[in-house]
Amino acid sequence: MKEWQTFVRKFSDMKEGKRELFIKDLAEGPRKYDTTHVIAKVSRKKTAVKNPDKLWLRSESGIRYPEPWYISIEKELPEYVEGKPWTSVFDALDVAERQHSKSK
Amino acid sequence: MSYKSHRDFFEVLDKEGELARVKKEVNWDVEVGAIGRKVYESSGPCLLFEKIKDYPAGFRISNGTTGTWPRVALAMNLPKNTSVRDIYATYEKRLEKKIPPVTVGNAKAPCKENIMLDDKVDLYRFPAPMIHEGDGGRYIGTWDAVICKDLETGWQNWGMYRFMVHTKNWLTGWPQSTSQFAFIFNRSYRPLNKPMPVAVVLGADPMSHIIATAPIKPFEDEAACVGSFRGKPVDLVKCETSDLYVPAHAEIVIEGEVMPDRIAPDGPFGEYPGYRSGTMSNGIAVKVNAVTYRNDPILTMIALGTPPDDSSIAASLSAAVAMKKGLLRHGVPVTDVYVPPEGVTHLIIVGVKKGGAEIAKKVLDYFTLRRIMTNKHIVVDEDVDVFNMGEVLHAFATRCHPGRGIFYEHYEGRSNSLTPFYSPEERSKLKGVSVVFDSTWPPEWPPEIVPVKASYKTIYSAETQAYVEKNWKSYGITKK
Repeated sequence: MKEWQTFVRKFSDMKEGKRELFIKDLAEGPRKYDTTHVIAKVSRKKTAVKNPDKLWLRSESGIRYPEPWYISIEKELPEYVEGKPWTSVFDALDVAERQHSKSK
Repeated sequence: MSYKSHRDFFEVLDKEGELARVKKEVNWDVEVGAIGRKVYESSGPCLLFEKIKDYPAGFRISNGTTGTWPRVALAMNLPKNTSVRDIYATYEKRLEKKIPPVTVGNAKAPCKENIMLDDKVDLYRFPAPMIHEGDGGRYIGTWDAVICKDLETGWQNWGMYRFMVHTKNWLTGWPQSTSQFAFIFNRSYRPLNKPMPVAVVLGADPMSHIIATAPIKPFEDEAACVGSFRGKPVDLVKCETSDLYVPAHAEIVIEGEVMPDRIAPDGPFGEYPGYRSGTMSNGIAVKVNAVTYRNDPILTMIALGTPPDDSSIAASLSAAVAMKKGLLRHGVPVTDVYVPPEGVTHLIIVGVKKGGAEIAKKVLDYFTLRRIMTNKHIVVDEDVDVFNMGEVLHAFATRCHPGRGIFYEHYEGRSNSLTPFYSPEERSKLKGVSVVFDSTWPPEWPPEIVPVKASYKTIYSAETQAYVEKNWKSYGITKK
């Protein structure tokens, strides 16, 4: 099972369901921590997602949540999200998520 | 001798016993950071990690090039036992003079020995370290010099900002939104919705990095300041993908563009105040178009954290001298300014010829006028040695009146969001507060009522001291 990591401000910010996220690959080697921008299904429960990978959460202070979540990547997106410099990436992801759900 | 490069300086550090070469293979993933931090915390040597896991022979990482006062002295061509006061004085004097840089062609620029362009760019070919466990990523830019250009004037600014590897050809970073970097982007590029060319320089000569930390005024040429320290012009070479000029002898130069309409996560990162606080995902994204580098490149790291380290030492020097000049211009009768590294530019000591509430308020006014990086300021009389924190603490404890000697200034939109005690809301709005502790005697007190400091040098007459000195040996006290 592959392992990924993502950052949230507070652990309670992470919601289950279809999410747009930046995730970091934790596979050992020179490309460890490479970032991928994805739409993925995430859950606290391993059984709630198909072919799950582990997803570790870290907070804005870098503290790791003790238990993994689970993730199934549905789509890979470009390396960035639209937004202006010095604005919140989390806000930009929220906007993008809303746009994806409208366009469905 | 002047140092053209990071490598030249390492030869001197080696001779002076200030360099440890780590030949055992070490992991770029946390191990090099942990070793670097442990060595900082014991005032140990500069480190050169010579064998890095996952990377070919020759790709190296350094830590702590100028992380102690003796190594700063060596970088300035001073004896390594030079006092902090004399290092400050030499820095102040040399900064007055400017020697403009010269440009050289690629053939004379070691940083062009290897060139990766466009789709060949792969940042993972360099051993960017994961410095602290729990950081947001691999910080390739910690001890760097970041260069960008103002379109109207052509001024090329050098600053030091953190940059993280996001993907093989994207960096994310966090120059603060109040930085000169942001000033140039907002003035020259944001209105046109244009990408801003940027060069992240690793492993230039040591003074280039110290000057990159310095609050040099806008439109002044940092490269000319470095020339003054070297006594010779700095060799600059043109970037491959922009008209920025970078130190020709640098180890690695990452060329890219700050995107005006694209962002990606940066941070969190264990930062210079000595904490990993909530500053993340509020920065910039850089599309990397080229990387040029020397054979067997050395990636410069600083395992930032609790002081002292390269950052707190360099800021102590460069910030204090700029503050002294600024305070004098602001009409404060300054004798000296000291930025104790342990105070990580949050705590500033200001010595004045004449103190009192009005002067203390003037000091606070100066520190809160524009972009605010400091928050606590202790003003002391000139009889207190600002470089001696024992004397400063004594003056603060005994001369600062808790009721009438403490003044505050609140502000919004200008604070340093890396300040650990600010709440998330304060950080997001750049809200802050600064304080001055007037630790001087009120100037309105008649001299005959000012308490006399009961120290050997101040409470005894010159005659008594001379008598004691003359007879010292006869007392049979061996320790003088």
